[in-house]
Amino acid sequence: MNIAVCVKPVPDPKSYDKITINPETKLLERNKIPMVINPTDKHAIEAAIQLKELYGGKVILISMAPPGAKEVLKDGLAMGVDEAYLLSDRFFAGADTFVTAKTLATGLKKIENFDLVFAGSESADGGTSHVPSQLGEMLGIPHLNHVMALVMEDGILKIKTKIENGYMDYEGRLPMVLGVVREINTPRYIPLMGVIQAQGKPFTVWGLNDLQLDPAVVGLAGSPTKPGSLHTPPLGRKVEMLDGELEKVAEKIIVVLHSAGLLS
Amino acid sequence: MLKFSEQQELLRKVVRDFVEKEIAPIAGKIDEEDTCPVELLSMTARLGYNGVFTPAIYGGTGLGYTERAIILEEIARYSAGFAMALMTHHLGVAAIQTWGNEEQKKKYLPKLCSGSVGGLAVTEQGGGSDFSGQKSTGKLVDGCWILNGRKCFITNSHCADINIVTVKTGEDEKGRPVISAVVIDENTPGCTPGRKEKKTGLRGSYLGEVVLNNVKVPEGNVLGKVGDGAKIALGTIGEVGRSGMAAIGLGILRACLEDSVKFSKERIIYGKPLAKLTNIQFIIAQNRIDYEAGRLMTYNAVGMKDAGLPCTPEVAMAKYFTTEAAVNAAKRTTDLMGGYGVIYDYPVGRYLRDAVASIPSGGTSHVMQLVIAGSELKK
Amino acid sequence: MEKQHGEVWIITEQAKGRLNEVSFELLGKARELAAKDGLPVSAVVMGSGIDFGNELIAYGADRVFLIDDPRLALYQNDNYAVVLENLIRKYSPAIVLFSASYCGSELSATVAAKLETGLAAHCVDLYFNEQAEFVQVVPAFGGRVLGDILCPHTRPQIASVKPGMFKKPEKESEPHGVIMEESAAVLDHYESPLKALRVVQEQPVGLPLEEAEIVLAGGWGVGSAEVWQSLEELGRELNGAVGCTRPALDEGWTKGEHTLIGVSGKTVRPKVYIGFGVSGATHHVVGMKDSGVVININNNPEETVFQVSDYGVVADVKDLLPVLLKKIRKAKEDRQ
Repeated sequence: MNIAVCVKPVPDPKSYDKITINPETKLLERNKIPMVINPTDKHAIEAAIQLKELYGGKVILISMAPPGAKEVLKDGLAMGVDEAYLLSDRFFAGADTFVTAKTLATGLKKIENFDLVFAGSESADGGTSHVPSQLGEMLGIPHLNHVMALVMEDGILKIKTKIENGYMDYEGRLPMVLGVVREINTPRYIPLMGVIQAQGKPFTVWGLNDLQLDPAVVGLAGSPTKPGSLHTPPLGRKVEMLDGELEKVAEKIIVVLHSAGLLS
Repeated sequence: MLKFSEQQELLRKVVRDFVEKEIAPIAGKIDEEDTCPVELLSMTARLGYNGVFTPAIYGGTGLGYTERAIILEEIARYSAGFAMALMTHHLGVAAIQTWGNEEQKKKYLPKLCSGSVGGLAVTEQGGGSDFSGQKSTGKLVDGCWILNGRKCFITNSHCADINIVTVKTGEDEKGRPVISAVVIDENTPGCTPGRKEKKTGLRGSYLGEVVLNNVKVPEGNVLGKVGDGAKIALGTIGEVGRSGMAAIGLGILRACLEDSVKFSKERIIYGKPLAKLTNIQFIIAQNRIDYEAGRLMTYNAVGMKDAGLPCTPEVAMAKYFTTEAAVNAAKRTTDLMGGYGVIYDYPVGRYLRDAVASIPSGGTSHVMQLVIAGSELKK
Repeated sequence: MEKQHGEVWIITEQAKGRLNEVSFELLGKARELAAKDGLPVSAVVMGSGIDFGNELIAYGADRVFLIDDPRLALYQNDNYAVVLENLIRKYSPAIVLFSASYCGSELSATVAAKLETGLAAHCVDLYFNEQAEFVQVVPAFGGRVLGDILCPHTRPQIASVKPGMFKKPEKESEPHGVIMEESAAVLDHYESPLKALRVVQEQPVGLPLEEAEIVLAGGWGVGSAEVWQSLEELGRELNGAVGCTRPALDEGWTKGEHTLIGVSGKTVRPKVYIGFGVSGATHHVVGMKDSGVVININNNPEETVFQVSDYGVVADVKDLLPVLLKKIRKAKEDRQ
């Protein structure tokens, strides 16, 4: 089986509350937050490796990201992926999900026809969950997002997708694009052997010219959506602290409930 | 300049991820309950930590002592106690890897790399540093060694599968004891853990007696030659044991540094973060200096070992430095935290106890100074 | 201010034979957007054996497209998207709003790709600016930052909105609208390689968070499953609903993911919100920021949560809860 996994390096979600907007430039200040592989993408990599262990074949990693993403992609290679491809070019910057999907699709088609393409269902930073579906459309193959269970039986894929308070069952056939949610598996810890092997695995970087794309159809230029201004949500309230013994505090809380029209 | 390779940086990152998810959340609990999470040693085996410096042909990961130090530092940052269990396991691996014959290496190393826990039992009531004073015996009878005796203060006493013990196997022409190192296979009758000690620090690994009661092992289980006991035991403890302790001390130093920085940024006093106070900054600076010095000394020493250079004094200096510095760093971090420093929920109390407990392991600071002075005076 | 043009559409969602609330919420927002320049608002319903036209007109739809076909009985991204693409190309609406539920997110993304147009995901606000541009406001970094999105050149402009983000409108005093049946004949030429087999959905018991006048939210500071039980008891005493933050959910103390409040969970706007051991991380706070009165209990006086509260109490949840329960029970008895 030839399997591809799309991954995205994102700023570490544990530090999102440190992100601010510069009041003068109005630009995002990421405050040196380290980049990590989008957490859900690890589940996608694990799903791909598990299938390779069952059915044989090859797993490649592909990402559209700045050059620094190489460090982050090494993690995927250490987990057991065979090769990594980084699509990187200054023209790719500012891409929305439509154009990201198109760029990834172009890269994938240049490598080969894959039986399965996995991705994390959504990224921690943008959180749109668009790319798996749009990638499927760009590749012209069926796709499902929010996959929480996957079994292959006699060439048929039995897929469970997550919905509010429940799930849906589907049947499908290869090839497919699948966006996975974290419920699907527990990503393995990377063994030291994986770290050693990662060093020698093929790592290819492609730019705009390698993909033979026009600058007008990639990045910000090619994106149907354009970003406007950024702002932080106005969340602050002026707090009045309720002090005293627990009994007194409880009474004060009841007073607040009364004035809000409850308990009467 | 100390610089790690890309592979070593990735290795550290990967180990840290495992430690943060599996060890950090239970560090307080294993210290409080004084239990050794032996199942974690199976996990570390699968990840390649248990055989990190063993060649791949024997089932190991094929890396070196630098990578081992990285692993121990990362684990000790959260649980110096559990790091001791892995550290001690490595002593068993190193002894066989360095002094075992081909047959012994093929027999024991794959097991030790894949889940069997190793141990090295030398110390007795009569003393640890007084090596020749040991009283356990080994008698060759019909092609088998019969071992008798009682070892104490042995780490992994209650979980080691494969034990290497030193026993007195005879006397030389001058009546001096001849001591040999012998490997005891898994589940050999007569070799049992005895009393379990309650430690004040480095809780998270077993410390106790190993009782030898007519333990029968094949003649071929002697490591090296008869009489090599001192060379093997002291050689293993000298470099592998002490470099492990240096890395553990380093982990504790980093814990003190990170916690002191975090606390000083978050704690508000006199309307400002604690970090604004000069005396607090002095403490943080000293924690940083100690960690930096410890880091350079430890990785320099293990780097020498990986390069095949003799490094006994360098390892002794690193061990002496990081463990003593860890005690000081833990004390000053406790001071920095004020009242919170003596609340059980905050780990700094554990750092202090762990640092104090790491000093006697592999030879006390006084012994380290003798080793270092001895090396200087020989020049 | 410049004039807006074109139609505003909403794509409805249904479950177990009823329209989901989000359909009406989207309709309300669409009406608001259309109001100034009197743009027509249409609702699209796809399914099999569906009959929701009048209900949607009652809540303000000028037109309802009903596409009734057995092939649409179960939601499936390709069948639905092929039909929608066909309908949208036929009528060329300017704006199309989808629910940002699991299915709605997937469907909107698929449709946007087919139409080669822009899509803004789980918008927290939608409006026309001074230049009559359609501004879609989206959260990023767990809600820490809000960004404006524009879709200047391609049409339609597509946005998805999470259920509960906007309010359900009042019924129209004089409803008027037409129902148009459209066919799904475009599917005659499309053989789907996928097969949706079934939907399995449980209605969670208890008062839904979105409907409760008082919401109690438990966070990491609740500390244990036992203390969580006291929180649930307090919820019952106050006739409120109990929600949670992600750390509490991950600990397994809660009734399930449907009680999660925040960017990846529910949006609530009760009269009173009381947080117990909640740290105040942005991704949770954006889910309750429109609450009336906000009270928070946390044992750390420096916790960020006190910056987003009207009233704060520094205490251990496990110590305060039993006292609060006792006092509230007494207060209720005294009333009787």
